Amino acid sequence: MTAAKRLRTFALIGVAVLLLAVWAFPVLWALLTSFKTERDVLAYPPTIVFEPTLRNYRDVLFGSASILPNLLSSTIVAGVSTALTLLFAVPAAYALARLEFPGRRASGFYVLATQMLPPVGLIIPYYLALQKVGGLDTYWGLIVIYLTFSLPFAIWLLVSYFEDVPREMEEAALLDRAGRLRALWYVILPQVRGGIAVTTIFVFLNAWNEFLFAVVLGGNRVRPVTVAMFNFISVEQTLWAKLAAGAMLAMAPVILLGLLAQRHIVKGLTVGAVKGGGRT
Amino acid sequence: MTSRGFALALFLPALFALILTTTAPLVYLAWTSAMRIELAMPWLSGFARFDNYVKMGGDPRFWHSLALTAVYTATTVVLQVALGLSLALLVLRIPRGQALLRVAAILPIVLAPVVVGLFWRTLVLSPDVGLVDVVTRALGLGSHNWLGDPDLALISVIAIHTWQWTPFAFLVILASLSALPPEVFEAARIDRASAWQRFRHITLPLIRPAIVIVIIMRTMIALSAFAAIFAATGGGPGTATEILNLYAYRTSFSEFNLGYGAALAMVLLAITLAVSFVMFRVRRRKVAS
Repeated sequence: MTAAKRLRTFALIGVAVLLLAVWAFPVLWALLTSFKTERDVLAYPPTIVFEPTLRNYRDVLFGSASILPNLLSSTIVAGVSTALTLLFAVPAAYALARLEFPGRRASGFYVLATQMLPPVGLIIPYYLALQKVGGLDTYWGLIVIYLTFSLPFAIWLLVSYFEDVPREMEEAALLDRAGRLRALWYVILPQVRGGIAVTTIFVFLNAWNEFLFAVVLGGNRVRPVTVAMFNFISVEQTLWAKLAAGAMLAMAPVILLGLLAQRHIVKGLTVGAVKGGGRT
Repeated sequence: MTSRGFALALFLPALFALILTTTAPLVYLAWTSAMRIELAMPWLSGFARFDNYVKMGGDPRFWHSLALTAVYTATTVVLQVALGLSLALLVLRIPRGQALLRVAAILPIVLAPVVVGLFWRTLVLSPDVGLVDVVTRALGLGSHNWLGDPDLALISVIAIHTWQWTPFAFLVILASLSALPPEVFEAARIDRASAWQRFRHITLPLIRPAIVIVIIMRTMIALSAFAAIFAATGGGPGTATEILNLYAYRTSFSEFNLGYGAALAMVLLAITLAVSFVMFRVRRRKVAS
């Protein structure tokens, strides 16, 4: 290896390390902070070596401002809305991907268009409508409204998986007089099991991370953990270490799910746009 | 059951759910934007025709938010694509450790934007103890109020968005680059094409579809950005980071003027739809030619 080449390799590795640092560091720093006392947090220069404490986690979980109820809120809202989304999205995606019906192309385009809607554009009518029917600060209100963003996303992601199933398989099943529903259930769905799992992960992740709808339409009863993060920040003071501990607990599920689905993340991120507005 | 009937039975429930949760609210929004609804003064409520839109024309805060939206969207998208592309090209040449980098890139993406905003507001950008301030002080550049100074605040929220979402551009472009067959480069290497020529005439055209996808998606997301800015600055100081989303939100839920907020939201929707329409149009023409 020549000197110039070796130098270049070193430079490349340097860039890679820098990247790792920039992306991972704030998260690792928060993790570190979550084990510090509030006094250690404010030390200058910042301390890497300190006596770690689990107090923040104990306070955040079992103290007076416990986020346990909020974690429960998030689990209910994200869990139920994910289940509801899949219930609607799986059959719809199959129909869009494989069946003929009047207005299919237009329907696909409609689903895609609804995916583009900015949430701020919808929050006012939701607020007024839920206020009228007594749906503010209720689980069902938030769960139904989460369909807005999760349903179009789930349908498009699932369409891409259904399209990968070989057509011969369903034709064979239909020839056996299996009936369309039975063919779908016993032959097609097992083929897209992986796709459904990936979709479930992403839908849950998006619902868990949602903030705008939660802060406006939730309240004291239904208060997902993304909203509860503000408990640790007030005009008078910021509880740094507790915020860090709370954020770590709140984000642990999505970090785990993200790592679990990391091979599929590019597909999950670009779904919809790849199709370019309707199937051709 | 006919096959058509079967298809409709599978598709219609989702269609109705979507109409209920997206289209019906839009109609209601349009109606609200023609109303005067001030929660603080309910006795003033009533039909206002186009008053809200007329008011917008002479509202400097609206024009300011519109300009900020344009700046915020354009800079974040350009930065993400430029950084993501350069990083992907670099990382592609790293012999080992790509997998580790992919994992690191996933971290910012999966975090809730509101948590990212709070992380930056406290651990990264806060004066004296924030990471950035520690670095600038160590370098002798002094301490700054990164989110409290109106000029710096806009740069800071742009930096936050770019930090969180450059990994998206990076991952998508890297995936596209990794999928290119090595033969295309070998021919060019034999022709003694320079590195820049190879990039300009071979690599770039091949990964253009991926770049276009990134641009479209990131523009849409930037136009609907809310939570990270809300958490970091709340639109402030003053209106220094108040993009249209934040203005519509503050008008509706801090000042309780829902009618005017709805009109602002209508403008936001119109912009989003127009931008996405143009982008898909341009892209389709590119693909066709």
